[in-house]
Amino acid sequence: MKRRFFTGRQLRQLREYLTAYLMIAPATVLIFAFGIFPVGFALYVSLHKWRIKKGEFRGLTNYLKAIDNLTYVLLFALALGAIIAGFLILRRIILRIREENPGNKVWLLTIPGAALSAAAYAFVRWSVLLLPEVLAIADKIWGLEKTRQLFMGLLKEAFLTPRVVEAWRLFLGSLLISLILSAAAFYLVRGMKFFQYLAQFFLAWIVLPLGGGLLWVTFQDVQSAYQTALEEGTDPGIWPQVITISCGVLLLIGAWKLWSRAADQRHTWSFLARIVAAVGLLIGAWLLIGELPRVIASGDKGMWNGLKVTAFYSLGTVPFQLGFSMFLAILLFQNLWGSELFRMLFFLPYVTPTVASAAIFRQLFSNRYQAPVNQLLIGLGLEPLQWVREPQGIFSMMADAAGIGLPEWAAGPSLALVVIMIYSIWTYVGYDTVIYLAGLGNISTAIIEAAEIDGAGGWEKFRYIIFPLLSPTTYFLSLIAIIGTFKAFSHIWVMRQGSALGTTDTFSVVIFSEFFEKLRYGYASALAFVLFAIILSLTLINQRLQGDRVFYG
Amino acid sequence: MARSRLFSRPAVTAEQDAWLQLKKVLRVFFTYAILILGMLISITPFIWMILTSLMTLGEAQGIRWIPSTLHFENYLNAWDEAEFSEYFFNSVYITVITLVGQVTFSTLAAYAFARIEFPGRDLIFTVMLSTMMIPAMVLIIPNFLTVTWLGRIGPINWINNWPALTIPFMGSVFSIFLLKQFFAQIPDELYDSARIDGAGHLRFLWTVVIPLAKAPMMVIIVLSFIGSWNALAWPLLVTNSPDWRPIAVGLNNFVDEAGQELNLMMAGTFITIIPILIIYFFTQKQFTESIARSGLKG
Repeated sequence: MKRRFFTGRQLRQLREYLTAYLMIAPATVLIFAFGIFPVGFALYVSLHKWRIKKGEFRGLTNYLKAIDNLTYVLLFALALGAIIAGFLILRRIILRIREENPGNKVWLLTIPGAALSAAAYAFVRWSVLLLPEVLAIADKIWGLEKTRQLFMGLLKEAFLTPRVVEAWRLFLGSLLISLILSAAAFYLVRGMKFFQYLAQFFLAWIVLPLGGGLLWVTFQDVQSAYQTALEEGTDPGIWPQVITISCGVLLLIGAWKLWSRAADQRHTWSFLARIVAAVGLLIGAWLLIGELPRVIASGDKGMWNGLKVTAFYSLGTVPFQLGFSMFLAILLFQNLWGSELFRMLFFLPYVTPTVASAAIFRQLFSNRYQAPVNQLLIGLGLEPLQWVREPQGIFSMMADAAGIGLPEWAAGPSLALVVIMIYSIWTYVGYDTVIYLAGLGNISTAIIEAAEIDGAGGWEKFRYIIFPLLSPTTYFLSLIAIIGTFKAFSHIWVMRQGSALGTTDTFSVVIFSEFFEKLRYGYASALAFVLFAIILSLTLINQRLQGDRVFYG
Repeated sequence: MARSRLFSRPAVTAEQDAWLQLKKVLRVFFTYAILILGMLISITPFIWMILTSLMTLGEAQGIRWIPSTLHFENYLNAWDEAEFSEYFFNSVYITVITLVGQVTFSTLAAYAFARIEFPGRDLIFTVMLSTMMIPAMVLIIPNFLTVTWLGRIGPINWINNWPALTIPFMGSVFSIFLLKQFFAQIPDELYDSARIDGAGHLRFLWTVVIPLAKAPMMVIIVLSFIGSWNALAWPLLVTNSPDWRPIAVGLNNFVDEAGQELNLMMAGTFITIIPILIIYFFTQKQFTESIARSGLKG
């Protein structure tokens, strides 16, 4: 009997797959091209001197310029993190093998896993070598008549550059070998979970060499930094700094863990643990604080200033925004007549296009004495202010008015930044109110009624019932708001004035102006990665610290 | 009701009762006072904008709040001379193109992710979701380089043209995620019966799923509308002439350049706000809900 290559059912299955791939294709291609590929591309740009056109490879120079020796610390931490992750994956594999007991042969899978990871690295190498060749097509085609043929020819040329071809061959070779090895392992091991095990080994083999490689790069770079320093006769002091900062962070984390666990125990040694933790915290914090000024002094002033402005901006907006909106939401929740209308109007500022509302605020808080806010001040018998153009810190302005001199570090956010904070609070209160209203709607009335029966007054109801039950909402909103301050761009860009001397430039604005105004693409990309690292670690810290304090009913 | 009476406090005297009444009235009064104050703070900037946009230039630069006569011709001037008509229609084109692309592609992808099983589905979806964490500032530089490159090698220019302003935004992870959540809830029986009637995936999507998914579709339409109407950083980069400059960039430039013509500027600002306002007032509930759910704004 002649057997058909595919049965009808398999054919239908294949058609189903094909339909699915075709359906996700447009969105996936776009998200890859403009959302995933750019991350790698940005990393590539950040390692080069790149002012409109690609310049020479500079390694970590851009990062060093921004955060100086902190680069090594971060790289070191990243390397350690990767190695630890690798060991965790390995441990999980071992635990799984112990649990599912698929036989000792499963360890053979580590060989195809390693080969596959080598192939993956070869692929990355090929892409990195190919990228500049493909980019160069745009320059070669410049001024010529753009035809399909010409482009195809140039593209072929790019792919056939000797180095690229060599990398491609290496990739193909390693892929072939790993596929053969995988097939052999499949023949030997079989089992249902074959692909899951293989994937885990593959992952371990991706992560561990990555950690090792990063560690090696760090050592190499530090070594060469010492070399140049030796020639100049200075001491770069990188190792002491790396060690101090890492120790500080480790002590902080360890002490925090001890502290949070000590609460569960009821013995004398839990008390001791707390003391140890407190001491560890103090030492860790001290090490960090002692090292910070040096790091900041040697990094990029503009960037650190941007970070400071962002911190001011967060501190000056998030608590107020959340406080006002919680208050308004509780008032609105009573379902008075017209609360729908109020809600709609509170939400209006948030809905308005950012550029438009920022343009209005820029005029309201203009430095002209006829501007509405200055008129209000004059009406109250006060002097008009410069508002959006004022670079002086508000605390020092207040101190000046009171006749006291303040040191520079206590100057506080500039008045121009305060205007932006006011704008920001004005915009986001409506949004937060709507979310809080949703949160209030989720609180069961039975709990509140029970509290009322127990004789709880308005404040007690709020303090002991509503506030804790709203904590998930507060957590969510504060996370969104803090990350939002790091992303804030449009309104600051509109309200930004030259005479405010950069006191309103948050981190995002610093990046954008490095890129858009100073045309330093490489450096701006490095800064963007610093921002990325900050946002990621903020999210993680927030989850760790607040995650277990939030009460989910 | 009986229970609450059971637990209510012991009988109150008439005096106490009056005091309680007064307390209640005072509470309502203060609640309204605070709400009205909040409302005034929210809308005063808008009122000032509208009033200023109707003044003569001299009045707008003075300290008056109420225009002596209403100069509606400011809107005509902003519309014609300050080129707001051009910016406005640019924004309309950009928004419509983005919207059509994004809704089509997201619906197709969300359907496949939600209702078809295929190898690599979860992996691809997870990778997509993880891109939502990447800050826009990381993407903006390489995307600018990519778009420049595409314009140089391709048949049409991307910079200063519609492709750079629309195509990168047609693939939206958030829209796919939102629609997928909804599509996954549609019962399998519906698909089975549709298939027995001879319908394939596309027909099922078009005739059954989309009519059911009007609410989430509305949400992504509203969100993508706001997103492309408000965008500033990216259009600022990829447009350098008024030909394709959207209204947000146009207004931003006008604020910088024509700082003196306050009345025209406020007229232009109002023109920028109007479309969003119209949508907001007509689809208020869905609008509020969709923004509240996404937590996104330019």
